[in-house]
Amino acid sequence: MSDELKSSTPPTPDTEPVAARSPVPIWIIVLTLTQLFLGMVYFDHHSGWFNSQVYGPYASSEELESYQPKSGEAAMLARGKARYDQVCGLCHGLNGEGKPGQAPPFAGSEWVNTQGIQRFTSIPLGGLSGQLVVKGQTWSLSMPAMGAAMSDADLADVLTYIRNSWGNKGSPVTAADVKAIRAKLGAHPQPLTGESLKALPE
Amino acid sequence: MKNGFLVFLASLIALGGSWCGFVLAPVLQLGGGKQTTILNSTDLYPVGRPGMANQGLQVYRANGCAACHTEQIQQSGVTCDVVLTSAGKSPLAVTNAISSLKLNNIDKVAADAAVDAITAAGGKAEIHIIATGPDITRGWGRRRSVVEDFLYDDPVQLGSLRIGPDLADVGTSRPDANWQLVHLFAPQSVVTDSAMPPFRYLFHVQRINGEPSPDALVFPKGFGPRAGYEVVPTPQAQELVAYLLSLHTDVPLHDAPFTQPLVVSKP
Amino acid sequence: MPDSPDLKIDRSCCVPLLALFGGATLWLGVSSVLGLLASIKFHAPDFLANCAWLTYGRLQPAADDALLYGFCLPAGLGVALWLLARLSQTPLHGAVIPVFAANLWHLGVLVGLVAILIGDSTGFAWLEFPRGGSVPIFFAYLLLALWAMMIFAGRRERALYPSQWFLVAALFWFPWIYSTANLFLVAWPVRGVVQAVIGWWFANNLLVVWTGLVGLGVAFYFLPKFTGRPLQTHYLALFAFWTFILFATWCGIPPGAPVPAWLPALSAVAAALLIVPLLAVGIVGWRTVWGSIKSKWDNGPFCFVGFGVDCFCLSGLMLMAMACPKISLVTQFTWFGSAETQLRLYGFFAMTMFGAVYYLLPRAVGIEFPFPKLARVHFWLSLAGIALLILPLAIGGVIQGLKLQNPDVAFADITKAMLPFLRISTTGLLFLLLGNLLFFVNVMGLTLHWKVALLKKFIAFVKSPMDETSACTSLRRDKGVQA
Repeated sequence: MSDELKSSTPPTPDTEPVAARSPVPIWIIVLTLTQLFLGMVYFDHHSGWFNSQVYGPYASSEELESYQPKSGEAAMLARGKARYDQVCGLCHGLNGEGKPGQAPPFAGSEWVNTQGIQRFTSIPLGGLSGQLVVKGQTWSLSMPAMGAAMSDADLADVLTYIRNSWGNKGSPVTAADVKAIRAKLGAHPQPLTGESLKALPE
Repeated sequence: MKNGFLVFLASLIALGGSWCGFVLAPVLQLGGGKQTTILNSTDLYPVGRPGMANQGLQVYRANGCAACHTEQIQQSGVTCDVVLTSAGKSPLAVTNAISSLKLNNIDKVAADAAVDAITAAGGKAEIHIIATGPDITRGWGRRRSVVEDFLYDDPVQLGSLRIGPDLADVGTSRPDANWQLVHLFAPQSVVTDSAMPPFRYLFHVQRINGEPSPDALVFPKGFGPRAGYEVVPTPQAQELVAYLLSLHTDVPLHDAPFTQPLVVSKP
Repeated sequence: MPDSPDLKIDRSCCVPLLALFGGATLWLGVSSVLGLLASIKFHAPDFLANCAWLTYGRLQPAADDALLYGFCLPAGLGVALWLLARLSQTPLHGAVIPVFAANLWHLGVLVGLVAILIGDSTGFAWLEFPRGGSVPIFFAYLLLALWAMMIFAGRRERALYPSQWFLVAALFWFPWIYSTANLFLVAWPVRGVVQAVIGWWFANNLLVVWTGLVGLGVAFYFLPKFTGRPLQTHYLALFAFWTFILFATWCGIPPGAPVPAWLPALSAVAAALLIVPLLAVGIVGWRTVWGSIKSKWDNGPFCFVGFGVDCFCLSGLMLMAMACPKISLVTQFTWFGSAETQLRLYGFFAMTMFGAVYYLLPRAVGIEFPFPKLARVHFWLSLAGIALLILPLAIGGVIQGLKLQNPDVAFADITKAMLPFLRISTTGLLFLLLGNLLFFVNVMGLTLHWKVALLKKFIAFVKSPMDETSACTSLRRDKGVQA
């Protein structure tokens, strides 16, 4: 047998250890159950119940929804302006003044101010062809449905911007309004005419 | 336990459980790689990083930047500010309504009550949502980091130690490419008492041949190479800086909302 | 003279253990050197800064991986192999395969470490080895685990002692977590932050659960063995085993992580439940050694193992604190987490393995350590080193966290405030390096002694034209294979 290491020799002969067989103390079981309960309470309050959108500090999806900032009017107008300048301004003018022979003005137009949201919104969604009277002038128009490709929110922003610019004063158009009117018009509506426009409810 | 099979079974149950919870479930719930939209806009988020920035991520990984820097902003809370947008027909009534109310740094319930009071008095008000936390107050970002922020990163370099500052929004807070390059070459020249080692091997120090190179670094006074020499970044350094400048955490999302003053749709 | 069955069992493990421990000791030294170099960079950022291989971001992960994959895993496997052989009362057969596996392992570690230093790391904490390193390691582990399971399955002693549960569970644990992590993060990476979640799951299951299983299995064997008293108690150890594997496996997701709230919530609950196995382990250890500490004070391996169990409980408490949401605001992203990991890997696991190796290696090889008294010096150096490393990092980490939580404190001030603490922890690393050097000298000296003895026997066998069968038998007996 090899030399023994003085610092590592156990005084007893080299037998394998054994384990005593007394039962587990009950208090540790009680502690485990208590911790499990407290853990479940904590999980209930802090986990958002496996919702993939809920991050701390929000405790639930309801709380997260309540803290969603509503899009303020200022933000709508800014977005609407940007979109208007890209899409509508080329023909209707960046200041809503219109272009003779091309597109009627928006500034002071009754179709923007008094003719109601339904009729006003239907124009970009359906397109317009034929004759239309705007501010006492007759326009012979052919406008494609410029708003059909936009999302409800984007078109709502643009229309709200038009209704609140260049002296116009109107209530905002919401995405819900646009959605409802789009649904009413159908998937591929025929371009509207002066008569069919008047036939629409306000 | 009496035999090896029971030990194996116990291990299978325990490890299988956590595998289901932390491997399978996250892959199923979050692994789809779905983009979200910026809050109150139709713009998708995130859009992928430009090509050089993706290579920069590999330079970041290869040099172990995540050993000192994190890329995850923490948010400890959320508050509201009530902002008056219109005084309406009787400004005096509105003033009376808000004189007794706290309008800043309040919770949603109080904010809603304040807005109701203002509306009842004939005015109009908006609630601004603000994310709060030490990281946000330090200017390290506008909101907490979420899953969507890392959608296109491979490997994700979240980091776990802040020996250096958090970098999740460094593209917004330090957008100057020259500053980033100088900081890599000689950190102590732009950040006093910096513990960051200089990454001189990512650069060439070369003699100026006639005209200085357009890529040459511009150093603050008192630092820089000796006269007649310039410091030019290698492609690796440029990729790394492109990556750093692509790091942004400044737009609101549905799962980390805050009010941004202007959200302009892209053309 | 008939050999005792224990001797036969010990000697059957001789060559695999030498292969495993020899390489492990070398990597321990490498890890200490790399860690020291990395730590010096805080005091002199310009130190070795021109060399891309030695930038901090590559040195520190290399040091960490050298400690974990180079020392902890092979040493743990070696001790587990020996322990399972002893407890099963069954010798190891076919030693050539475990020896091959050990060498394959060390080759994998070498490739992996070089890959990190040249910039080829995978980018995931504790999983930095690319395929060239991880594949050899994985297959080496499978071979060693298979050999250990063969000993276990063919055991003569059918009744199970608590250590065997821990060790068998550990053999099973690593292949699953390592293959999952490498497949989902390196081979076919999952998208986005799910990588981080799987990375945390893997790191927790390796650093906390695997090391806990092997370390506790070893401790529950040696503590009763050294004190001569029975383990207190079988059922409490069983309770500790079950609660440990059920709860500790769910820790790991940090509280502020950029993931939905349910993930950190699960980890926080698991960490709170960790108090139960920690208490159980503490009670088992304390009751087993109660009354014997003073008399065993000069038993070197006992000191190592006892200190290791203390560090297990302490690092467990630190882990629980870090997962508690209020405390985590202060400890997250600070040196506190680093302190907990070092305490666990070095203070608990490495120290327990040192004790085990000091005890079993001379018995397995049949040769004494060249400098047995150095074991005491190693212990005290390690104790001092761990205290000097961990305490400043923990305290400094808390201070760093408090300052990070206060937005009025400039970041440069935080960096400056950390320097005194880092200075002390660098000194701690120096002590640890010296201690590891002593261990290296002892293990290498013993290996050299063994090789020289083997060479002498071989030369004698070749030289003398005597009765061949008796020379073969004596040669084979010395090499540990049953005649």
